[in-house]
Amino acid sequence: MSNAEAILFDARELEHPEPLNRAVAILRTLTHDRYLHMIHKKEPIPLLELAQKRGFYTLSKQDDKGVWHIFIARDSLKSLLEKIDV
Amino acid sequence: MFNNQGLSLDQAPPIEVVFRFFAVGLVFGIIAGVETMLFGAKVFEGSAREALVLTHTLTLGVMMPIMLGALFQMLPVIAGVKFNAPTKISLAVLPSLFVGTLMLLTAFYTGIPVLFTAASVLLGATLLLSAGAMLRKLFLLQDHGTSSFGMIMALGGLSLLTLVALYLALSYGGIANGEAFVALKQAHMGFGLFGWIALLIVAISFQVIEMFYVTPPYPKALTRLLPFGILGLLLVGLALFLVNPVLQTFATAIVAILLTAYGALTLLRLSQRKRPVADATVWFWRVGMTALIVSTTAMASMPFADISWLNKLAYIAFSTFALSVVFAMFYKIVPFLTWFHLNAQGYFDAPMMHEVIHPKTAMKHLYIHLAALAAFLITLVFPVFAYLAGLLLALSFGRATWQLIKAWKLYYHTQKHGQKFETDASLA
Repeated sequence: MSNAEAILFDARELEHPEPLNRAVAILRTLTHDRYLHMIHKKEPIPLLELAQKRGFYTLSKQDDKGVWHIFIARDSLKSLLEKIDV
Repeated sequence: MFNNQGLSLDQAPPIEVVFRFFAVGLVFGIIAGVETMLFGAKVFEGSAREALVLTHTLTLGVMMPIMLGALFQMLPVIAGVKFNAPTKISLAVLPSLFVGTLMLLTAFYTGIPVLFTAASVLLGATLLLSAGAMLRKLFLLQDHGTSSFGMIMALGGLSLLTLVALYLALSYGGIANGEAFVALKQAHMGFGLFGWIALLIVAISFQVIEMFYVTPPYPKALTRLLPFGILGLLLVGLALFLVNPVLQTFATAIVAILLTAYGALTLLRLSQRKRPVADATVWFWRVGMTALIVSTTAMASMPFADISWLNKLAYIAFSTFALSVVFAMFYKIVPFLTWFHLNAQGYFDAPMMHEVIHPKTAMKHLYIHLAALAAFLITLVFPVFAYLAGLLLALSFGRATWQLIKAWKLYYHTQKHGQKFETDASLA
């Protein structure tokens, strides 16, 4: 679990539909030891719904600057993601 | 279109609902182009029947279904409003709107009184019930975002517009006595152009400009005060007409000035995008906002400047504003909905958004749109160019209609032949 690889994707400066397009492309590559850490200005509800429908575990957290940190992974990494502080 | 209060896109209607509304609007757009080709420069002649037919083709035929379709999509997603049976509602609203609009256009062209009466009853019931249903849901919201408050104001404007239109149509039909016709005709135009069309665009833009183009947000106070101010001034203007008709003109002029400022602010926001390259939708917004500024400046000047073509310029520019925003949203909504619904259904080979409608396709449409605008502007000097303008308008809408058909065919093809993702649970 501790060897899990984070794929960091900062979408804050990207215009629609690039954040969604690229995030979905990343989801298609996620294996049991990789997770997506997406940084965005808004909580990307459509992406979270798509990920959940495909059986991924999703977690959204907002930091004290109002920036959203979105974590998406297979269920096997759920406990790791819940420990991450933003 | 994306809700940021944790509400689900599952509450959004099926894709067919939105596509049907758009299809009706686009077909009426083609009809508007054909009308202009047939009527020529008469479409600019004040109360001529040709002008009334074209105006109502654009407002009722094009803008109304497209705006209602956009609301069906956005209310659940932006404001968390849930429609219990969106497909059934759309199948009730759309045919009534379509038939009612055709009846009214025929009534304007032929002058047959019973057609005015029939159209007013059908359209009045459809629009008042639709606006009422949406308003009831919106009033139940605890917290209002940047767009939902403005939507309430716009739907209020639609309701007032419809009530006034009922009186006018029934006057044409010989049912109402027409004593207040002149005052209410001014109010009808004000509520229609500013209180419904402009106000709904303003409300939606408060959310989508920032969301789609990564711009700084609009000032929060503006998102409340501007919609309230526009609708309030229109109501005050109607009351002032009863005192002195000139006072209503001043109230409308203040609305025009407020919208001019809004247009300038939106252009500023679009210039503050981080991304240096602008796609077609950014340009449609820019053209729209520039046209809005030209239109409202012309309207605000009319009481003070006796220039014969100012009215025509204001008309052309306002139509350009509304249609530019329609196309800007069209080229965002159609690819997104196609992509999203197919992905949500689990299709592995769902087309990417640029495969639904390629950005270059949208750019080519922008060029046709600008050519149509140029032709309409040239009619101010050479009225014969109206025939070319009509052809380009029909081509513009025909092109958009074709893109919608292609998106629908791609959606249907993927549903029929596409491969679905296996979920993680089924792989275990």
